[in-house]
Amino acid sequence: VSGKHLRQLAEYCDGRLTAAEAERATAHLAECARCRAVVDDFRFAAGLVRQLTIAAPPDSVWRSIDNLAWARPSAPALRVDVAFRSTHFSALRLAAAALIAVIAFGASYWYVTRQTQERWPVARLDGAITVDALSVGEALETDAASRLRLTVGTIGTVDVQPNTRVRLVSARSADQRLSLEHGEITATISAPPRLFFVNTSSSTVVDLGCKYTMRINEGGFGSLRVELGWASLEWGGRESLVPAGASCTTRPQVGPGTPSFDDASETLRDALRRFDFENGGQQALDVVLAESRVRDTLTLWHLLSRVDEADRARVFDRIVALTPLPSGVTREKALQLDKGTLERWRQELAWTW
Amino acid sequence: MFAMKSQRALVVLTLVIAGLLCTGPVHPASAAEFHLTIGNPVAAMAPAPSTTPGGPIIKKLTNAAVFVVRIDDCAEPAKARLEGTAEGIVGTARRSEALVLSAMPTPGVYAVNRTWPSDGAWVVNLVGTCQNLKAGAVVPIATAFAPTGFLRETTRFFPRPATPAEVDAALKTHAASVQSK
Repeated sequence: VSGKHLRQLAEYCDGRLTAAEAERATAHLAECARCRAVVDDFRFAAGLVRQLTIAAPPDSVWRSIDNLAWARPSAPALRVDVAFRSTHFSALRLAAAALIAVIAFGASYWYVTRQTQERWPVARLDGAITVDALSVGEALETDAASRLRLTVGTIGTVDVQPNTRVRLVSARSADQRLSLEHGEITATISAPPRLFFVNTSSSTVVDLGCKYTMRINEGGFGSLRVELGWASLEWGGRESLVPAGASCTTRPQVGPGTPSFDDASETLRDALRRFDFENGGQQALDVVLAESRVRDTLTLWHLLSRVDEADRARVFDRIVALTPLPSGVTREKALQLDKGTLERWRQELAWTW
Repeated sequence: MFAMKSQRALVVLTLVIAGLLCTGPVHPASAAEFHLTIGNPVAAMAPAPSTTPGGPIIKKLTNAAVFVVRIDDCAEPAKARLEGTAEGIVGTARRSEALVLSAMPTPGVYAVNRTWPSDGAWVVNLVGTCQNLKAGAVVPIATAFAPTGFLRETTRFFPRPATPAEVDAALKTHAASVQSK
């Protein structure tokens, strides 16, 4: 993210953009995970700064500054003109203010980026493992008979299932991050979105709240199932949003596939797998379109931006045949993959899921 | 000959009218008038482009909810009112429980939390008021093992509050369906 973009994102957070600029920024944020992370950091830091109290420096500080500036001059110094004394005084005050600002900034930066809890406490659920904490950089592996519970700072827990290997990557309050090397975990998180992440070899699971299970094998073949709220699978600019009751698979070199509800037909899910990972193409897409129910517009909405232009209209028509087009969404804009339009449509479609 | 034609026309007309009457309530999304829309809790917490203040609170409210309700096509959704009761049959006893509605940050959106026992068959009877307009919905509650907290297919919408007879009929149908499973 460049300096210019950082400045614009800061203005976005402060509400200093015009309505049109803010709308464009919102649309951009919908597709740019990196910028979203920056905005989250800004807001998190701003929240912390708001909690800081403004404290006046002790009188002794000002007295010593004044003494330095207005120390009784010897006879020649009396000739110093007022302008010089004033400049000298201002420079000292400025230096003191700058020093205080640097200290305040450093303290805020440390507060935001510090490792809130360098170790996550570990509790045994099953088996004989006796580890009591996991530090940043450390890995932990369960055997076939062991289950463990990690406490993620103050925001939730991660249950590590048997035959699973995890590594703690970051324990910063704005970036709690675990690497799942193989096996299965169940995360239950209660925090603002995008504070808890699970890295895998073929996708990153981003917590948007609240409870999900991620499993992956050593080859990078995995699946995410969400039980409550939302999570997303992200990889190389590709993002799959997965709501409660839905799942999404991930594959090495490809990343996340297209999410589908668990009660979708087996035929649909099989065709989706062929479309996502086996070059199933138009034939697989035909099956997905034919098998879709109203609730499967979750899948179709994702497919809109994953099919080629020729098939996009077919996907659009199928969604519209299943559920009416909401106000603010037009065929033209949707087929152009206008981000704001797709975002608006997804939020409306979610009422049918 | 003319009489036969008239008779045939009358029969066709009667069938058409009967057909229209049997199609049941209009799907709320297709109505332009004030109405209620029911959704899964995820609908009220669809991921925003970034963090919104009170995120965890929203998540807690909606994750505990059985379903969420939205007041649609109301000029002032913030001033609209939503109220209702949970109506159930537990064993052979008819029960009625007050409803707990949690207002969501979006005006006119509410989460419905479970205030009724987990046993028995239950429907939620909702009444929305927008100025002098009213709309209703009767929402059958799913069993614990269903993929969603409510039964979308058998939810009924009304351009007015449901009558006690309509609520009872919906509850009896739902109870019969629960018992047969």
